[in-house]
Order: sequence, then C-alpha cells, then structure tokens
Amino acid sequence: MIRRIADNIYSPLGLTTADNYASVKQGRSRLCRYEGAMGLPNPFTASLFDWDQVERLDGYTRFETIAIQSARQALAQTTIDPASPRVLFVLSTTKGNVELLDAQAESFPEDRVHLGTAARMVSAYFGNPNQPLVVSNACISGLSAQIIAMRLIESGACDTAVVIGADVQSHFIISGFQSLMALSPMECRPFDIERVGLNLGEAAATIIYDKVDQIGADEWQAVSGAVRNDAHHISNPSRTGEGSYRAIRAAMGEMPAERLAFVNVHGTSTLYNDEMEAVAVNRAGLKDVPVNSLKGYYGHTMGAAGVLETILSMQAVDDGCILGTRGFEELGVSKAVRVSAQNAQTDKRAFLKLLSGFGGCNAAMLFEKGGER
Amino acid sequence: MEELVLELKKQIIEVLNLEDVQPEDIENDAPLFGSGLGLDSIDALELIVMMEKNYGIKIKDPSAGKEIFKSINSMAEFVQANRKK
Amino acid sequence: MTTKQWVKITPERVELNGEPLATTARGTALLTEIYRTRINDYPKFFKMDELCKLGFIASELLLQAEGDRHQDSEDRAVILFNRSSSVTNDRKYQDTIQRPDDYFPSPALFVYTLPNIVTGEIAIRNGYYGETSFYVLDAYDEATIRATVEASFLDGMTQSAICGWLDCEDADHFEASVYLIEK
Repeated sequence: MIRRIADNIYSPLGLTTADNYASVKQGRSRLCRYEGAMGLPNPFTASLFDWDQVERLDGYTRFETIAIQSARQALAQTTIDPASPRVLFVLSTTKGNVELLDAQAESFPEDRVHLGTAARMVSAYFGNPNQPLVVSNACISGLSAQIIAMRLIESGACDTAVVIGADVQSHFIISGFQSLMALSPMECRPFDIERVGLNLGEAAATIIYDKVDQIGADEWQAVSGAVRNDAHHISNPSRTGEGSYRAIRAAMGEMPAERLAFVNVHGTSTLYNDEMEAVAVNRAGLKDVPVNSLKGYYGHTMGAAGVLETILSMQAVDDGCILGTRGFEELGVSKAVRVSAQNAQTDKRAFLKLLSGFGGCNAAMLFEKGGER
Repeated sequence: MEELVLELKKQIIEVLNLEDVQPEDIENDAPLFGSGLGLDSIDALELIVMMEKNYGIKIKDPSAGKEIFKSINSMAEFVQANRKK
Repeated sequence: MTTKQWVKITPERVELNGEPLATTARGTALLTEIYRTRINDYPKFFKMDELCKLGFIASELLLQAEGDRHQDSEDRAVILFNRSSSVTNDRKYQDTIQRPDDYFPSPALFVYTLPNIVTGEIAIRNGYYGETSFYVLDAYDEATIRATVEASFLDGMTQSAICGWLDCEDADHFEASVYLIEK
C-alpha cells in the first residue's frame, strides 16, 4: 500500500501546508490584477509570489528555489535520508525554467532551460544520486507524477518517492494563454454561469510516499490512479468527457460513490473544461457526490496543481470539511453537479482528484484515509 | 476587392500551414470552418493574430470571429471596412 | 515485455526493424519525404511542430509494420521520453513575443510548447483512449526508461505501448528510437 509520509505547500498563500489550508478555509486568495507586469502589454489576473518575500537560493532559478524550499520543508518532517539511492525525486512541471529563453532573463547557463538539468539542480541539492524523473504531461503532471511514483514504488524501482510539483509564471506562459484567449480578466468563477476563463498561478508543493503493509488509522493511502486520453483535440477537451470519464472509471474501480467525501475536479473556469467535467462526472455515476474546484484560491498552478490540490483535499478530509468553490455562485453547466461556494461538513474518508490538460490527457486519483474499515 | 481576396487566400494558406491547398481551391463563399478547409478553434485564433499583424485590426472577442471568418468574402468585407494598414 | 516493432530516425536515416528505408532527403525534409511517400493522408501533419512530426512519423511506421492500428482502444499507452522537452518550438514561440514593437504571440505555436502534445497527436490519429505520458530526463538512460515503462503496465488496463525516446534539440538535431511493445 502506498502511504503518504509528509507534504508541503509553498505558495503565495503561505509557505506551509497548515498556513495554506487555514487561508483557503477562510476563503482567501492572492488573485489580483496586474497591469504592465513582466513586460506584458495586456493586463491579467493571477496569483503570484511576492518575490521580495521568497528566500531566494543563491545560484538557483526562481523555479528551482521554490521546488527546493518546498521539498526541504516536507523532508524535514521525516527521517528520510534524501541522499539514499532508494529515494527517487519525481518532478512535475510544465515549463520549468522557460523564462530563461527571454533575452532579458536572469543570467544562468543555457542548459538550465532543459527540464532534466533543472530537476537535477533540485535533487542534487539534497545529495540524491539518482537521475530525477521529470513528468511533463501538461496540466495533469501533478497527478501523473504521483501515479508513476506509486507504480515505481510498487514495482520495487524505489522505496520512497519525493514528488515535487512546481511552476512559475512568466511572460512566456501568460502571453501564450492570452493568445489563446483563455484567461479571465477578473477572478475566476469555476462552474459558474458567468465564467469566461481561467486565472494563472504559481506555487510549489511536495508529497512524499513510501510503501507499507498496513495503513494506520490516521494515514493517507494513494489507492489508485489512471491517465486516459480524449483522442479528440490537442487543446480542446472532448465534449463527451471521454478521457476524464475513462480515467474516473479506472481509478474508482470497485469503490462505491457513496464512500467519497467529494470529487476535487480540475475546474479551471473555462467554458469548455468545466462543462466537460460536469459531463464526465455524470457519466461516471458521481452526480450526487459533492464537487469542488480550488482554482478560485490559487488560480491554475500548472505543474504544481495536482500535488497542491491533493494535499489541500487531504487536509480538508482530516478537518471533516468539504472546501467551497471560491468564485462559484450559480451553476452554468449542462449537467447537474453538486458545487457549492460554502465550506461544508463531511465524515467520509476518501476523495477523488481529477485533472485535464493540453494534449487531451486526463488523470484521476483515488485517495483514502485509514484504509478499509 | 479581387486583389484583397487573393491576398487573403495566400495569407491563410501560409499562416495556417495549409500545405496542399492552392488559392484556386478556396471558393470565395464556401464556409472556412467545419467542412471545407476544416479549420478549428486554434486556426480561428491565428486568424485573429493575422488580422492585427497584416491589417491593424484588433478583434477582442473570439466569438465575433465566427461571423468575420465565415468565408473569404466575409473576411474581405470586414478587412476593407476596418483596415488600419 | 515483448518488442513487436522498432524504428530509429535521425536527420540522416530511417531504420525500421533494423532495415534502412530508402530515402533521399535529409533533416526535417526527410520527415516530409516519409510522410509524402508512405502516409500522405493527414494534412494536419503540416501544422505540427518538429517534435510532433518526428513522433507522428515514428508511430505511423511502427503501426504500418504491425499491420493493425488497434484503433479505438483503451489498452494501448503512448509513453515517450526526451531531454529537450519542446525547446525547439519554445524558441519559435519566444521569437513571437521577444520584441515589444513586433509583438504577436502565436496561439498555434503556443499549443505546441509542451512535449506531451505529440502523445496527444498519436492518440487522436488512432483513437487511443489509454494512457499518454511524457517524461523528460537529464540524459538518455535505458534503465530509467525501461523501469518507467514496466511500472506503467501496473495500470492494469494497458496491454501494449508505443514508447521510447523522441528528442528534437533543434531543426538539424533530432532522434527517435521508438518501440511498439506488448505486455
């Protein structure tokens, strides 16, 4: 059984998991409007670090810094020796150090643009001898990384996996989403009838897994996971939620829907994504399970999203809480889904996490606390 | 107008990488999206960039593109009416 | 795991199951030549970036050799690895945003600034609903690739995979070493 040992969220809302959960439970966010930032001619709304407050590590890029800071805090909660060859670092990121492509970027060796090189800077910081595995599977990377980490532990390739999800925002990424007209000028509204697009965000989050024969009553288990493709379009989701539905079905297995406290969806607040997920959740027989999206607190944190949103969901279940979907008011999708703006109570111990991404990929992961009782 | 129509056809072929298409293959009134050239939403966004780059016309609302890019004729009419270059 | 077909592509040559294919072009023109002479039924090919073209050609050759596309299936995964991510196309996109006085970010280029898009293109072409994944390594490493692909079969549904190395450092330097394997 794959067990979570420790975690950390390092984000504009806080540098520890506890601080992040407390802020989110109180409905806070760092989403705000930026004009003329990063040399971008058009304004945008995003959740960004105040980089003057971040403890920059000398000789490390912004991306590498937040990945290391997050992993450092997670590892500090354990007795793991990160320099052990039986520990594997798995990094989830979409663009890593892409900002270094800009002629005006901070001065770093050109090779740092390569994700593998950046990842090695992170794993080597902790003295780990293995080549780190970088998962670059678009926006589902954070779940893809956890799923392959689970499988590598199960297959005996490693004993412990330090899964770090991280991305920083840049002129490159923001201008790209602006060219796709995918952004909302205001704070995003997941599943809402007035939603027009997503907000971008940046963060790092770390979750550490190992293997045990028995899961303790207070311990989290990564039960199962699946990645499936829509086979439809490289940037638009399938209207029938094909890949998402199949991923849910594969991850849920025999688990009855009633055992789920909630489904934490991707919920980016674009017209197409939220509609597609409503369709998929209904197809999968989960229409009576509470659904929430956390994008209203952090924006879309890309490579960090899958890890960050998993950790917050675990915190919420620990707290007997279903976090409200910030930004939601009135349902604006064609299928009924149980979305609420308010926090709610639960005594259930399992949840399903979903993500979808460019390239038509979709991921679903099932988590349960305390094992089967 | 004839010149503009031909110009638009050549630009579309180049900008959208329509390798096997010649200007003669594109009928002025035929729908560009759905059937015909089979253009998709990303192509529509590229055409919006093309409008600004080549004619100085900014299209802020992507749904407005549907009417403007319906056919070569509707594109040409729109450009003629709004061009700043 | 059993290897059913394998293909190797460099700017100079293409080898299918150890046999070189007769070609005259070199570099990315070689990819176009293979497309024209052996495929030629998928105009979307010309919208793809170099990494996607490379992966598309590699997968087409494998599937043609297999003789059965295994279309509309959920049990075939597409799992690819490289070192350069999508950097060749990233640089092209960067060029559209570098100069404030010539600022036209290209959506068609931006959608290809992710390495996993090639797995999506292969899935779309063949109706593959199974797992699609992309991993980036510091350097080609057979052991890591093997361990990751083997672990991926723990999915339970996956019975076969198009997998291997697919790297495009720039238009003149690319390499594909892709396999069709069965559990």
